[in-house]
Amino acid sequence: MASTAEKDESMLDGGLRSRGMHDLGPQAMRGFRAVERTFLDTVASRGYQEIRTPAIEPLHLFTATGALSPQLLDRVYSFLDWDGWSGERVVLRPDATVPAARWYDQRWQDPSEAARLCYVQPVYCFVPDDGEREVWQCGVELFGLASPEADAELLLLACDFLAALGLRDVRFELAHVGLVRATLAAAGLDPAQQAEAYDRLLAGDATTAIANANPEVASALQLLTTVDGGGAYVENLRGALAAAVPEASTGLDELAAAARALDAAGIAYRVLPGTARNFEYYTGLTFRVLVGDTECISGGRYDGLGEMLGGRAVPASGFGAGLLRLMNLVGGAR
Amino acid sequence: MSDPIRVALPRGDLRAPLAERLLAAGFVAEGYAEGSRSYRFAVTGRPEVLVRVFSERDIPIQVALGQYDLGITSCVWVDELLVRYAHDSIVPLRALDLGAERIVAAAVPGSDLSRLASGVMRVTTELPHLATRWLNRLRIPSYRVIEVWGEAEAWPPDDADLAVLPAAAAVAEGLEILATVHTGSALLIGNHRALAERDLRAALEPLLSLPAGPLTAGPESPRPLDVPRGVRRETVTTRTSLRLAVPDGHAQRHTAAALADAGISLDGYDATNAVRRPRANLDGVEVKVLRPQDMPAAVAAGAFDLALTGRDWLAAHLAAFPSSPVVELADLKRSRYSLGAVVPDALPAETIEEAIAYWRRDDPNFAIRVASEYVSLADHYARARRLGRYRVIPIGGASEGFLPDDAEILVEGSETGTTLRANQLHMIDVIMESTNCAIGNAVRPTGARGTLRDDLVSRLQRAAEMVPA
Repeated sequence: MASTAEKDESMLDGGLRSRGMHDLGPQAMRGFRAVERTFLDTVASRGYQEIRTPAIEPLHLFTATGALSPQLLDRVYSFLDWDGWSGERVVLRPDATVPAARWYDQRWQDPSEAARLCYVQPVYCFVPDDGEREVWQCGVELFGLASPEADAELLLLACDFLAALGLRDVRFELAHVGLVRATLAAAGLDPAQQAEAYDRLLAGDATTAIANANPEVASALQLLTTVDGGGAYVENLRGALAAAVPEASTGLDELAAAARALDAAGIAYRVLPGTARNFEYYTGLTFRVLVGDTECISGGRYDGLGEMLGGRAVPASGFGAGLLRLMNLVGGAR
Repeated sequence: MSDPIRVALPRGDLRAPLAERLLAAGFVAEGYAEGSRSYRFAVTGRPEVLVRVFSERDIPIQVALGQYDLGITSCVWVDELLVRYAHDSIVPLRALDLGAERIVAAAVPGSDLSRLASGVMRVTTELPHLATRWLNRLRIPSYRVIEVWGEAEAWPPDDADLAVLPAAAAVAEGLEILATVHTGSALLIGNHRALAERDLRAALEPLLSLPAGPLTAGPESPRPLDVPRGVRRETVTTRTSLRLAVPDGHAQRHTAAALADAGISLDGYDATNAVRRPRANLDGVEVKVLRPQDMPAAVAAGAFDLALTGRDWLAAHLAAFPSSPVVELADLKRSRYSLGAVVPDALPAETIEEAIAYWRRDDPNFAIRVASEYVSLADHYARARRLGRYRVIPIGGASEGFLPDDAEILVEGSETGTTLRANQLHMIDVIMESTNCAIGNAVRPTGARGTLRDDLVSRLQRAAEMVPA
């Protein structure tokens, strides 16, 4: 029988285990399986079916789709495979959504039917020192169902999953890349300039500079990136953007629909429209979920991914949860 | 006596101007200025300091590993290491007023980056990490970085779309510079831990007094290119002519002789001179001069039907890519030498097994360091010989100097053993006997190209039969 008195992981290093990778002993695996089972049971009850994708994928799957920022691409585990003489690199799966989208495009038989898929698998990305380089994720991907129904389904599914784990103090943060994108486009920035400006906005110190350079959208930009709030804030945004950025109306409708769905379910949330991390990859609503101060789920809409992979255009959205992080939260809650 | 302060200095182009400045700063590595073939130098009046000479590209890794406390090398090699393996073990201390260099992306005149990015962009370079970083920042949707040993400029436009290389090399080849990838000069660097814990003043003070250069800019971060996202499909081109690659450098003399004996005349290619594209006396044959190290990958990629290289480089390629379609078509029986595991004469071991036991006599977990220019072969050798815990240290030259201090084993070639003996080294284990050879794809080309390849291979085989054993 396995001992329950497992040593602290850090004691086991001694150069015999790669940094940032996980050993999970019997006790940890019981916690792991409990979270995994809760996840799979919860999502299966809503019709999600499990898939598994390869640990090694072609690197260009991720460069072609803009799934990772250049800074993240600097940190993936990429290498030349044993048949990589052409210089084409492969990569240890750095993201679970792109492989799932590839799977859907290549394997899903009936495109007229929505595909509800889920997975439990690790993703890999280098972080310095003792940070987590192997991140176990459980997540869902929903192909073929357009916003806002799909957005609401995912938000409530994430909420149910956390409730099934017994976690309280759950808070949602909603964002929408379409709003910032439309605002920057209204200022005359091309897509490449928008991506660059968005990187600077995310860095946190460029709003005023960009607003000053683009006075016609200055107030919209300030409101989008320096204020956050609830349902009333969404309506204020609608007022501020209506004249200067009419293309933002669809995004505002989607944001408002998501806020209504959470209101109806009695779930706490804030709207922070300028905080979606991956500007190129997401196309609509994005969200993250915090338990206390710990971010444990993030996701959003990525309608363009199928076409970028050379496949059919299909609405798509999903979320991923940090399994070990949830395991620790559940352990703490008990 | 306590551990010496170890300083790594470059050979190559930086050596003469740096030696001049070191002399003025009162840091005289005896013999360094004179271009001595030695690898280690004492420093006049500073008995606690030892200098070792490396190729520029090897110095950052030696300082990062802590094998050397201080080093001077080109900033581009420091950044080539750090953009891929970011860590704080290297501390940049002073940009120097020499070795200023601009690394650029270049292509044939009239090229346009956005147009090149509309397909699968093939990029040749000796600096794969800097090139990859630059491509990622441009958000190039699909690219292949082909790491070459040298002469990245030789590849565009037929065998690559773009080369990332020193501006001077691009201009000399007639390529058009499309963008700057990196700028920098020589740099004084230090090991973080050594700077924190050791008294390095005997070397640090004079080296910090070297004339400073302008601040180095380092890697460029270009604006994203405005190109559509999406997976790119490779375009397959067909050709009717046979493409032949011939080497320059050390292998040129032997190859020219083999070609002459085979009745193959190349205008613009002889024992000592080579133009990039010599003209063959045979119809339907296109010839290009490439580095022999890079030929197996070029043949595997389908760029060439036939290439004249060394069997060692074919073996290195196959060690890295076992399912590569490249095979030896003819042994040219020239340029014969042994490739194997080299160790110091002073090592008390007759076999590699005894050597392993000796290195692990006190610590069974000791990591054996294997230095080599043949990284994949060294790795393969370490696995085949069951070295256990080991590290392969890729090196760019000055190889004999790595033993005994900076590695336990050197995987190296030797024609007569003279250089090894001069450095008190010997080959303890022969991995292979190498000669030059003709290589090609295992699948014979169809049609006229196949016939032409058969003819050239037959001629080369007949010529090889005339070579004395």
